[in-house]
Amino acid sequence: MKLDALIERLTEDLSPVRPRRVWIDALIIALIAAGELALLFAVGIAHLDMHRVMSQPTVGWRIVSLGLISLVSGWLAIRSFDPTFSARGSMRWLALIVVLCVAYGVLTSGLPVAVASIVQRLAWHSGVQCASKIVLLSIPPLLALAVLGHRGAPTDLRRTPLLIGLAAAAWGAFVFVFACPFNDPLYILTWYGLACGIVTLVARLVLPRFARW
Amino acid sequence: MLAAQRGDAAAYRRLLVEAGAWLQRYYSRRLPASMVDDAAQEVLLSLHTKRHTYDSSKPFGPWLAAIARYKWIDRLRAMKDAPTEELDEELAVRDHGEAVQSARVLETLLATLKPAQANAIRLVKLEGLSIKEAAERLGQTMALVKVNIHRGLRQLSERAQEDGHEA
Repeated sequence: MKLDALIERLTEDLSPVRPRRVWIDALIIALIAAGELALLFAVGIAHLDMHRVMSQPTVGWRIVSLGLISLVSGWLAIRSFDPTFSARGSMRWLALIVVLCVAYGVLTSGLPVAVASIVQRLAWHSGVQCASKIVLLSIPPLLALAVLGHRGAPTDLRRTPLLIGLAAAAWGAFVFVFACPFNDPLYILTWYGLACGIVTLVARLVLPRFARW
Repeated sequence: MLAAQRGDAAAYRRLLVEAGAWLQRYYSRRLPASMVDDAAQEVLLSLHTKRHTYDSSKPFGPWLAAIARYKWIDRLRAMKDAPTEELDEELAVRDHGEAVQSARVLETLLATLKPAQANAIRLVKLEGLSIKEAAERLGQTMALVKVNIHRGLRQLSERAQEDGHEA
């Protein structure tokens, strides 16, 4: 088809569109995330005794770290659905936040020396269950962000899926904090980290096909 | 584009015509000539399907350029992955002797000009850059680039005629 003919066809096909608004996308994601958290409390999976939960020594670190990572990466992911936005520079700051959050956990975990102690502290049976639940909790925000990304026009198909995966994983872990009975930083770093890593990796590998346009 | 988002067909047609011309110039410097039209059309289609992602508070040019660049990279990736045929060692090809000869003559003539004139002619007339791009590349004003091209071409023409008379 010649260019002129295509222009005529596209002009005939023109219909009014509602311009994409970043804050509407952010609001949709915030509502889904809040709904998930509310559902967790409504079905009784989360601890009902919030006073006891909040008094746990690692809860502040978990809530602040995961909330911050989720918020920043989610915002960057939504911004990256705009073709002119480059997340390259912002991702350095995000990486710094992740490193600082993990470093705080490592410093407070009290590194064990004996192998037996590590195995005991990791409690792998519970750990696998925790990681699975975090992965499940990551799915709703992951799907919502993927759909919004598909509707948008992301031009960086490496960073955008990575940001979507990280935001969804961090949110899943954030929600799970309210249901998690464990407090050992080593356990949290290992199993939360594993779950977040899996979700981010899957998003990075799968979403580029879905986001391509 | 704002009018196009509201459904103004006349404004949209004008936009597509201008965008199409710009895209053809953009791709003619980045892709083989046989692919330029296809690439430009692909971007116009994307512009159509993704027109809701344009933010009217920002300029249109960078938005279009970002889409054009994305599609260009996509095309390069596809070209890299496309199967290629190995050529026979002995292949009949057209004789390029005349073209080579012309290029040599042109280079010889350009060498007789001032470097600023020769560079301006090379960039604009041979490589296809716009006056603005050439001015940026050469660190000259657009007016100076135009003057250099004009004077350079005049001198080339005079020298070519002189050579013709001598021959």
